[in-house]
Amino acid sequence: MRVFWILLKKEVRAFFISPVAYIVLALVMVLGGFSFRAALAILESGPSEGSIVTWTFNALWFWLSYFFVFPLLTMRLFAEEKKLGTLETLFTAPVRTWQVVGAKYGAALVMYAVVWLPTLGNFWLLDWITGGAVEIPRGALQGSYLILLAMGLFHLAMGCLASSLTSNQIVAAVLSFTLSILHFLIGVFILTIGRKVPEPFVDLVHYIASVDHIRLFTQGVIDSRPLVYYATLAAFFLVLTHQVVEFRRWRP
Amino acid sequence: MIDALDLSKQYAGRVAIDRLNFQVDRGEIVGFLGPNGAGKSTTMRILSGFMPPTSGRAMVAGYDVFRESLAVRRRVGYMPEMAPLYQDMRVKEYLHFRAELKGLRGRDMRIRTGEVMELCSITDVRRRLIGNLSKGYKQRVALADALVHRPDLLILDEPTNGLDPTQIRQVRELLRSLRQDHTILLSTHILHEVELTCDRVILLHQGKICAQDTPRNLTRQLRATSAVRVELKGAEGEAQKDLQALTGVRKVIPRSRREEGWETYVLRVESQSDVRESIMDLALRKGWKIRELHRQLPTLEDVFVEITAGDGVPAQKG
Ligand SMILES: Nc1ncnc2c1ncn2[C@@H]1O[C@H](COP(=O)(O)OP(=O)(O)O)[C@@H](O)[C@H]1O
Ligand SMILES: [Mg+2]
Repeated sequence: MRVFWILLKKEVRAFFISPVAYIVLALVMVLGGFSFRAALAILESGPSEGSIVTWTFNALWFWLSYFFVFPLLTMRLFAEEKKLGTLETLFTAPVRTWQVVGAKYGAALVMYAVVWLPTLGNFWLLDWITGGAVEIPRGALQGSYLILLAMGLFHLAMGCLASSLTSNQIVAAVLSFTLSILHFLIGVFILTIGRKVPEPFVDLVHYIASVDHIRLFTQGVIDSRPLVYYATLAAFFLVLTHQVVEFRRWRP
Repeated sequence: MIDALDLSKQYAGRVAIDRLNFQVDRGEIVGFLGPNGAGKSTTMRILSGFMPPTSGRAMVAGYDVFRESLAVRRRVGYMPEMAPLYQDMRVKEYLHFRAELKGLRGRDMRIRTGEVMELCSITDVRRRLIGNLSKGYKQRVALADALVHRPDLLILDEPTNGLDPTQIRQVRELLRSLRQDHTILLSTHILHEVELTCDRVILLHQGKICAQDTPRNLTRQLRATSAVRVELKGAEGEAQKDLQALTGVRKVIPRSRREEGWETYVLRVESQSDVRESIMDLALRKGWKIRELHRQLPTLEDVFVEITAGDGVPAQKG
């Protein structure tokens, strides 16, 4: 466990000294501002069924930032070490593979949390300026950040895998971007046909469609199934990553 | 310290090393010598616990490199080829990270990293970014990292690769100074290197050990050729034929003339025979003038060419 913390500390530090973290932070803040503005515009235009929280996380701007965050946060993790050849120094120190994978994933997760936190400030600011005139439902806010975290668990694990497969960061980024988009599109597709073909597909919709998850959670409807779904997938991709990194130790 | 038994490794079916057997005793400095692609790095990666052998086994400090990899890694200081390092860390920060990773803590960790920085003469760059350092400094940072946890065994893959002559001398002196406390296995494709540093040489070629002995013995065992260099005048083109006719001469190789009238030849001769006297006699008889007559002792280079060319009987010694 000590080794894990040492590695985690190093990885988090590596994030803060690389420009990528700040680019992501800026990107999320700017796009977060845009989606917040869009949500306000909707509320201003007349009575609507959703709250400010719901509209913020269902804005187009939100989805834009959503897809860029994961590749940018994970592409460096393994690809850079492969390129530099430092995997060799890393794995000739007394470390276990799961400690390395866990630390890199953990650091990405920490950064993920860090880049989303400032968007909370928007709501806080609105509340402060308007003196509580705009309703900001607690449950919806909690639900939003909860599902954001769950989705992060999954997509970051997928990004880790992508990074472990190549020594080229750009390739890693493109791969993880593609995988994320694909997952999203499958979700949209199932959502569309799920509406037409009722019974057997209803469950699938609840499982796969990210759009639907966001819609429900940002209304404060907290469902355990998507959480389990993302956590399971995250675990699956982490195990895969572990295996890929361990590959050199397989006996052919 | 090291005990390799039938150690083999294949990459996707391609044989990189083939049934290597060798031992390294505590306190020895042993050199792996071989051309690029001989399997030096592969062997060292296995010994340092980075990857397992395809078959066979190796014990390092009494632990199996595959099954007790972590125990092995705690006792081995490994420096990979090309000294890979994190470019965006500072020297001291990097060494602290590595020392902690290898189990050092607190005060001991700080004192020890200070020691190895002093030892490798990198104290003056401790606050610099590794990415901005020269090759020689990077190499020494990697060496400091290999040393930091006081390992019993140092495995250094081409430690002087890419350094200039002054830096090479510094590294060599450093290695000599380390021999009291560490067993050292180093690899190189430069023959001079092992002649100067090592107690014993393991000659690797195409994944096989083709000789292992002290550098001196290896040179002495040389079945073939030493060479004699002669520079003469007044032979009028007859010299090559006449020299060739001497007993013990295998081959006469003419060299380009440096000065009008003077001809230079290198004679490959049977080992143990010294043809210098007969050359002198010949010259007196023919009335040649000689201004250089010099026997070149065989170097490891010759051993190497000889053995790897396949026409020498490989000297297989324990
Ligand atoms: N990762 C690898 N994948 C495939 N083949 C490799 C790999 N590493 C080395 N080889 C091959 O194994 C042989 C031995 O390589 P290596 O151990 O690096 O030799 P050396 O260090 O003596 O130059 C070479 O033929 C090389 O091409
Ligand atoms: Mg090599």
